[in-house]
Amino acid sequence: MVTLRQMATMVILFLIGSSSLFLLGGTAERDAWMSVAVGVLAGFVVISLVTLQIQRLEPDRNLIEIFMLYFGKVIGFVFGLVYVVYFCYKCTRNVREFADLSIMFLLSDTPLSVIMLIICIIGGYAVMGGPGVFFRMTEVLLPILILIYVLIYCLLIFTGTIDLARLLPMLEKGFKPVWDAAIPEIISFPFGEMVLFLMFWRYIDKSSFGQVMRVTLKSYLFAGAFITVMNVVIIASLGSLAGWSTVPLLQATTFVAIGDVFERFDPFVALLFFTAVYVKLTAYYLGASLALAYLLRISLRIAAIPVGIGIFFGSFWFKSYMHQVNVGFEQNIKYHFPIFQMYIPILLLIVMLLRSGVRSRGKVQKQPSSEDSNHAN
Amino acid sequence: MLIDKTSSKPGKQTTSSGQDKQPEQVLLTDMDINIERLHRFLGGGEDVVCRTLQHRSFDNTRYAILYIDGIVEGTTINTLLLSLLDDANNSYTNEKSSEGAGLYHHLTEQSIAIGKLSEVSTIEQAGYSILEGSTVLVVDGSLRAIVMDTTGGKTRAVEEPSSQTVIRGPKSGFTENLRTNTSLIRRIIKSPDIRFDYKMIGRQTRTNVAVVYLEGIAEQEIVNEVHRRLDKIDIDGVLESGYVEEFIQDRAFTPFPLLQNTERPDAASAALLEGQVVVMVSGTPFVLIAPVTFAKFFQSSEDYYQRYDIATFLRIIRMASFFISMLLPSLYIAITTFHQEMLPTSLLISLAAQREGIPFPALLEAFLMEITFEILREAGVRMPRIIGPAISIVGALVLGQAAVQAGIISAAMVIVVSFTAIASFVIPAVNMGIAARLIRFVLMILAGTFGLFGIMSGLMILLAHLCGLRSFGKPYMMPFSPFVPSNLKDVLIRVPWWAMRKRPLNISNDSNVVREGAGQKPSPDQEGA
Repeated sequence: MVTLRQMATMVILFLIGSSSLFLLGGTAERDAWMSVAVGVLAGFVVISLVTLQIQRLEPDRNLIEIFMLYFGKVIGFVFGLVYVVYFCYKCTRNVREFADLSIMFLLSDTPLSVIMLIICIIGGYAVMGGPGVFFRMTEVLLPILILIYVLIYCLLIFTGTIDLARLLPMLEKGFKPVWDAAIPEIISFPFGEMVLFLMFWRYIDKSSFGQVMRVTLKSYLFAGAFITVMNVVIIASLGSLAGWSTVPLLQATTFVAIGDVFERFDPFVALLFFTAVYVKLTAYYLGASLALAYLLRISLRIAAIPVGIGIFFGSFWFKSYMHQVNVGFEQNIKYHFPIFQMYIPILLLIVMLLRSGVRSRGKVQKQPSSEDSNHAN
Repeated sequence: MLIDKTSSKPGKQTTSSGQDKQPEQVLLTDMDINIERLHRFLGGGEDVVCRTLQHRSFDNTRYAILYIDGIVEGTTINTLLLSLLDDANNSYTNEKSSEGAGLYHHLTEQSIAIGKLSEVSTIEQAGYSILEGSTVLVVDGSLRAIVMDTTGGKTRAVEEPSSQTVIRGPKSGFTENLRTNTSLIRRIIKSPDIRFDYKMIGRQTRTNVAVVYLEGIAEQEIVNEVHRRLDKIDIDGVLESGYVEEFIQDRAFTPFPLLQNTERPDAASAALLEGQVVVMVSGTPFVLIAPVTFAKFFQSSEDYYQRYDIATFLRIIRMASFFISMLLPSLYIAITTFHQEMLPTSLLISLAAQREGIPFPALLEAFLMEITFEILREAGVRMPRIIGPAISIVGALVLGQAAVQAGIISAAMVIVVSFTAIASFVIPAVNMGIAARLIRFVLMILAGTFGLFGIMSGLMILLAHLCGLRSFGKPYMMPFSPFVPSNLKDVLIRVPWWAMRKRPLNISNDSNVVREGAGQKPSPDQEGA
């Protein structure tokens, strides 16, 4: 079973995930951090009013089971499959980000396919262990990561790289660019991605779902504040350069030099970012595998294999890193992701509220099968 | 002196697990047949001693003692014989019972000068008792025999442990003798709650194994689980606790030790006091401790004897050494091969100058040196002590210096390998050190092929593996994950004793965790004027 604390670390790491690689809300320029703050609040509304409400009505089922119960076997299966594809696609994007940036910053001569294969293997190894193992990993990783982030920020402050004057003047062009940058982009990425947790919440060792809600929202706000601070740091240290850089925060750390000894530690920083990306992609990988395992009634270890193969080959679809980023930021987060993160969940919630009779009936019929306990381990 | 009728001699319960020699033979009234059968059961070696006596007061009824020379305590046998002979020549007028049974009772109640007695009624039970070092007394005309505990003989004295040495702390170590070992624990923990459950493992060796725990402090579930796993072992011989460890650990394939072992009675007692279960195996000074967590392997018993601030410092040094011994060669390979830009320019130039003319890539160079060092280390362990210095001369001078001068290995690599080697000796638990050594090689290959990316991938898999491990059902990475804040007082740091009011949670019985009174922090006020 997963403890509440582990879930909190998971929420934080998942949300930090690949957001450390980009300047979120870049179109708002130096007010980007305000867009992020707006995005955090808007996302807060979405997850507290939609995502968490779905789980609150069915605290002991995951998304696939809920679909099957409320939409019937056939339509539920189709929706389930759609979400498997969505999770796989999200994972594919992260794998590709991870691989492309590894080549860019660490391994210029290694073939992309080899790196993606390794990423899929290390992700798959954690997925095979099940949610228990993966959530425990995040619990170990989070303190280390936060510590290193704080260290980096301190270094940036002490070396004088951070100059808060770069944030001024605030709201030069009014509030509209801030709002436009935030809605729907920042909700879709990263905050709306919390929809994945509909696959995980049921594994949490809880006395009541209220606890899960409280802890989720608290850790969500922590992650939101963290990302906002990160945004402030990026803009304060890079200024208008931030929008042009591939990985802005990494760019900022290259300005750090302590004496003549610690000059170029950006490979370590890159590894730090990649660790968070790894957590995110593995979370999606795990979500997709769990979903497939429930859809086809197979064990998680078996489901992880086709999902892993799919993710590996799917990652070749993007022509380049820029293509991947463009597809993501120009199309996906505006048009596609809101479907999965908001429209379908809202539809589901409405159906659930209307068909509350199904719920009481379903409780009697569906006992956790032996397969469930298998997954939980 | 009372006879312990429910004899705890484990021979009784586990004879079925022994080989099926013949059906159980009961003792008969004819003593000669009994002795003859016992001789046949024991294989009639020269060391089987049978001494026959006659008792004057009981119609010269004959009785005999049997034992195996060498595994009994000589002085005890002499005392026993003295008391028997003394008794045999006395005449007891008021007890005129002429049967063997009368003599039997007389002997058990009035004449045998041995502390621990028990009673058996079959040849097998008597035979196995003799094999364990007891002396059996058979009386003509009696259907039962008396087993007297005379176990002894030559054993090693209690000495300072050769592994896990400390500067400050008790100097006694466990020995090969189970009874000595249990007594060492008993002398430290004089609690009536301490339990010693004995069992016998090994069809041929019939090795005694003791499961030790403090009732009420150890979690009963875990004690039961230890028993269950030990009972499942079916093997012909157990020569060391390592045999048992491999049978009872939670997962077969892992480089990490899932049970702790120690040679120190104080460390074993500390484990008992924290609610862990200790498994002692006869024939080895190394006892097993379960359940155990990853962090436990970086604790030395000395941490608790030295001041807490020093102990904390040493602990951090040890943790760091573990990571150095696991990661340093691979980091060196990764940085010199893939990420030279990370090095300060002057260092980079000097490294490049050294590596100029070295025919091998850094990975191969590191492998050569690491393998050489592992061979040297193994040679150092296996060599007769007298040849030891020769190894160090050949190793240090010929392999180290000459290899650099000949331009085969760069000097920096020798430094890295030496530092790694020294760091690996800092880890107090040898079995955890070995895990780091094995993983080091895997990480070196990953670093040589994928640089820092490879190292990170390796570490992620390692972390996933560690998070999946359990020791007797307890997560291995506790208290980091699942996070148990109060246990952190004694993991990376050690807080003063007066601040560790609770035993580690989740390891022991959680309903009984307070181990010391509150408010014991020394303060000037308490000392009075």
